[in-house]
Amino acid sequence: MPTTDATMPTTPSRQRVLATLAHREPDRVPIDVGSTGVTGIHVSCVAALRDHYGLEKRPVRIHEPYQMLGLVEEDLQQALGLDVQGVFGRKTMFGFPLGGWKPWRFNGLDVLVPGRFEVDEGPDGDTVIYPEGDRTAPPSGRMPKGFHFFDTIIRQEPLDDETLRLEDNLEEFEPLGEGDLDGIAEDVAAARATGRAVVASVGGTALGDIALVPAPFLKHPKGIRDITEWYMSLNSRRDFVHRLYARQTEIALGNLERVHRRVGDAVDVVFLCGTDFGTQTSSFCSVATFRGLWLPYYKQLCGWIHAHTSWKVFKHSCGSVERFFESFIDAGFDIANPVQCSARGMEPEHLKAKYGDRLVFWGGGVDTQKTLPFGTPAEVREEVLRRCEIFAPGGGFVFNAIHNIQAGTPVANLAAMFDAVGEFNGRR
Amino acid sequence: MADLDKLYQAVLNGDAKAAAAVTRQAIDEGMDPLALVQGTMVPAMGEVGKRFEADEYFVPELLLSARAMKGSLELLRPLLAGRDAASAGRVAIGTVQGDLHDIGKNLVAAMLEGGGFEVIDLGTDVPPQKFVDAIQQKGAQIVALSALLTVTMASMTKTIEALTAAGVRDRVKVIVGGAPVTQQYADAIGADGYSENASSAVALARRLCGAP
Repeated sequence: MPTTDATMPTTPSRQRVLATLAHREPDRVPIDVGSTGVTGIHVSCVAALRDHYGLEKRPVRIHEPYQMLGLVEEDLQQALGLDVQGVFGRKTMFGFPLGGWKPWRFNGLDVLVPGRFEVDEGPDGDTVIYPEGDRTAPPSGRMPKGFHFFDTIIRQEPLDDETLRLEDNLEEFEPLGEGDLDGIAEDVAAARATGRAVVASVGGTALGDIALVPAPFLKHPKGIRDITEWYMSLNSRRDFVHRLYARQTEIALGNLERVHRRVGDAVDVVFLCGTDFGTQTSSFCSVATFRGLWLPYYKQLCGWIHAHTSWKVFKHSCGSVERFFESFIDAGFDIANPVQCSARGMEPEHLKAKYGDRLVFWGGGVDTQKTLPFGTPAEVREEVLRRCEIFAPGGGFVFNAIHNIQAGTPVANLAAMFDAVGEFNGRR
Repeated sequence: MADLDKLYQAVLNGDAKAAAAVTRQAIDEGMDPLALVQGTMVPAMGEVGKRFEADEYFVPELLLSARAMKGSLELLRPLLAGRDAASAGRVAIGTVQGDLHDIGKNLVAAMLEGGGFEVIDLGTDVPPQKFVDAIQQKGAQIVALSALLTVTMASMTKTIEALTAAGVRDRVKVIVGGAPVTQQYADAIGADGYSENASSAVALARRLCGAP
């Protein structure tokens, strides 16, 4: 049975991440690109960076085929001076495992995709993808011709409140088996061996993440799977959602315990939930709704983790979410991501002053909606330096762009981003 | 007699069953459908918009109210056919080419409909030509473009260029919105208006149409 040695020597990379997580200022700002599905980078940008830094020419692996995120392999990690290593979920968003890599041509770029990545050309030249790689099931994702990401095909069966069963929305939440645990233990051991801090996404712990509700990973999803129907259900079927979250939390707690038994404290950070509560200018629900419908379950999950492990808990939510930060802290979240400074009420100085000693800001490094894709390298440098000046003092900051680096971002801007972090770190 | 205050409350509270029941009763009693829309449903959706702007209502409440309003409107639509006064204007809305995200677009469409506009929803990943067709064949007066992704914002520019190339740009007002879109971007691509949320999109459309 694979186990993980948590006593491996702590390297400078891991040391600086642990320091910043403990709100102590490390020797330099740690950097993450690619450790999770929300701190990642589009495969085309990984390829461009590999060329830029003169690394061996080889196809990049797509480890997250929904957002088409590219794997940042060891040579690129070293070239970029990264400090964090990801352990990804056992299955991709389309329900097939990573591994058994095979070549694929994507918008003129040679890439590698998992062996069970099965696609077809759909109407209008779109690319459609099959759940679990099963061509007999209806496709669950679609990418418009010439574009860069998949989006879910909603497969909603007719809904009848009289016959709506909790189990239908629980199909994807199940106890991890020995095979899954072996895989997680192997991946965690490999991640620890890199010497970087380890962020693990074990899956099944997100409550109501709208990207997961349509279940693109299931062949024939049942229950509430339509996005609009789900949002309405938060009000109109609140008891159902409560019961769903309660049961899901129960299953997740069992899984966290199993994972911890296998990997112990070799994991430094656990990615718990990517449910978005913010829009660009407002939020998806009130603070009162958050505290009524999510907080009790988050408290159970974070409470167990803090009582039994040394893991820090990572919460992702895009948008204008400052109004939830006190509740995030109440829930037991240690880390806020992506810190979308361009959203209303998310001014970095304000966030650092008010929450900097209680939340670690993992992100906020540069705007990916405007500056990074459309600005000049000089503008990127200026923004990155300013964000580092604001967020770095006293620790509690891991440098990461605000959410995944998007396709079409000029490589000169990416290089300017890494150079600017290096410049900031060199000043210290 | 149908209780119109009950209809107002049903739309405001997102109770589709109650809204439909009162609407059916009002139709059976021969009430003026236009008065029902303009006197009760549009004001109810106006209040929904106000609550949304005031952070009292959020996406779930907006969607529930929109569903209640649409259910009633579907019952009334056959009775409104041919009455131009029923519409504040005709809007062709869609998520631009390459982009499949539609939550924001659907919210704007629902609020516009609730604001008395006739909405032609072209869906997602809409090629520029479809917007041209909606103007030429269906008489759209406003074109509303939505994008969530930075990589698809350029499709807004291409759509506006297509309207110009087809000679219909002067016949319509173009409004844009979506997470990465800003007023600055709207100005840069030659749009006529930008809205940061679904509620203010209604006021914007009214202003551009010269509607009260």
